Amino acid sequence: MRDSLILEVKDLTKRFGGVTAISRCSLALEPRRIYGLIGPNGSGKTTLFNLITGLEHRDEGEVRFKGERIDGLKPHQIALRGIGRTFQIIRIFPELTALENLLVVARSTGGAARRRALELLAFVKLDRLKGEYAGNLSYGQQKLLEFTRVLILDPELILLDEPAAGVNRTLLNDLLEAIRGLKEQGKTVVIVEHDMKVVMGLSEKLFVLDYGEKIAEGPPEAIQNDERVVEAYFGR
Amino acid sequence: MPIQITGAMMLQGVVSGLLAGGLYAMVALGLSLIFGVMRVINIAHGALLMLGAYTTYWLFALYGMNPFLSLLISFPLLFGVGVLLQRWFVHRVVNAPELSSLLLTFGISIFIPNLAMLAWTADYRSVEFLTGSFLLGPIAFSKPRLVTFLFALGIAGLAFLFLLKTKLGKAIRATSQHREVAQVCGINVRRIDLIAFGLGAGLAGAGGSLVSVMFSVFPEMGQIYVFKSFLVIVLGGAGNYPGAFFGGLLLGLVEGLASLLLTAQLSEVIAYILLVLVLLVRPTGLLRGRA
Repeated sequence: MRDSLILEVKDLTKRFGGVTAISRCSLALEPRRIYGLIGPNGSGKTTLFNLITGLEHRDEGEVRFKGERIDGLKPHQIALRGIGRTFQIIRIFPELTALENLLVVARSTGGAARRRALELLAFVKLDRLKGEYAGNLSYGQQKLLEFTRVLILDPELILLDEPAAGVNRTLLNDLLEAIRGLKEQGKTVVIVEHDMKVVMGLSEKLFVLDYGEKIAEGPPEAIQNDERVVEAYFGR
Repeated sequence: MPIQITGAMMLQGVVSGLLAGGLYAMVALGLSLIFGVMRVINIAHGALLMLGAYTTYWLFALYGMNPFLSLLISFPLLFGVGVLLQRWFVHRVVNAPELSSLLLTFGISIFIPNLAMLAWTADYRSVEFLTGSFLLGPIAFSKPRLVTFLFALGIAGLAFLFLLKTKLGKAIRATSQHREVAQVCGINVRRIDLIAFGLGAGLAGAGGSLVSVMFSVFPEMGQIYVFKSFLVIVLGGAGNYPGAFFGGLLLGLVEGLASLLLTAQLSEVIAYILLVLVLLVRPTGLLRGRA
């Protein structure tokens, strides 16, 4: 086990009834990098996120975060150790205000938490909507709010499930800039994304899933020309 | 002979109804909290209310304690009972199909009143503390009902303040809005469950203390309040906390007005007709319900 890895997934397997959603999947993530996780619909990308964050329990294999086993921990314990995530379908707390959405998960309380929350809202230009119920925000704004809710816990590893989907072009550029900024801050990011231009442009390394198996990994240029990947997406 | 209903009678019905509704609102808020956070319908809510009523009764009978002062004991006592019930039993069925939690709380709702019957017999008891009424213009205000209404309103108000203003209260609301997300954001939902069940049970217990000032105390007294609370949260939208509050007032109002037109027994039926109608027409509740 290499200590320099931030996340190591080893031979992870998850079955739902007779379906194997994730099959002997192994990944090794180094700190301060941006990774892409791609694959056709139903290939197990979100399930993999769920396994890492503890929302699903593995059948076999292990997950290590900074060298320590985290499979078997409860989701909130994993979150507090430093793994944050967003969801494919936005999940904000609709009946809390934008500001409360951040404060309710902040680890600190009082003025410091509030200052940080306002700073994050300003960062995604939502500061003037801080008192608005999150359920009343537009789709793109909710997406940004969900993104900042991840950041307030200051996680070291951030899993983003389709951050670009449904976000308009202007917002998208801000969002991509923000994701690149995370790397500068020393964070590791994994992005699931269907927009190939986005994911190829951001990621230093891609993992490709198909039917729950990792069929390829490598830098974007290599993946684009990988035969198995092309086959998985377009058929033979 | 047709009944002549005057404006004053009408107003009297509204006042009596609202006074009863405050209590419904507070008790139903407890049931709604538990449902909102865990999707568990606590059929034992009435049994917890009964325990609160006996707490007040015994403190009054043995030590002569002011029944309203006894709220300071019944609320925390039932909060503790709720936490233990959650820790020992209910947490096992939180993610199970609804039928499991219904059966479990149904079992508890049989067990506790029978235990009470063994311990304290089935005798009807009463807390003779505040009686009589006063007139304000043409309207009669029953003293015990007015005072219990004010206490119910105050306690429900405090509960709302807690939910709206404190970080823990916001975490409870966040968990009831998105349980999974709350978890991956670092909220310990097991702990939230304990607090929510404790709070719900505490509100039921406080409700029992207030009921004991107006009505008889006996082991099966809680049953009617389970049905009414259930009706109230259907009216207000399941898991919708302000909805539970307004639903409670509305139920009281409907009962109060119905009692003018119908006999007491028939006015109870009105509540159930209302339940069926709301379920048919607006199953998510009169206020914006949460799907």
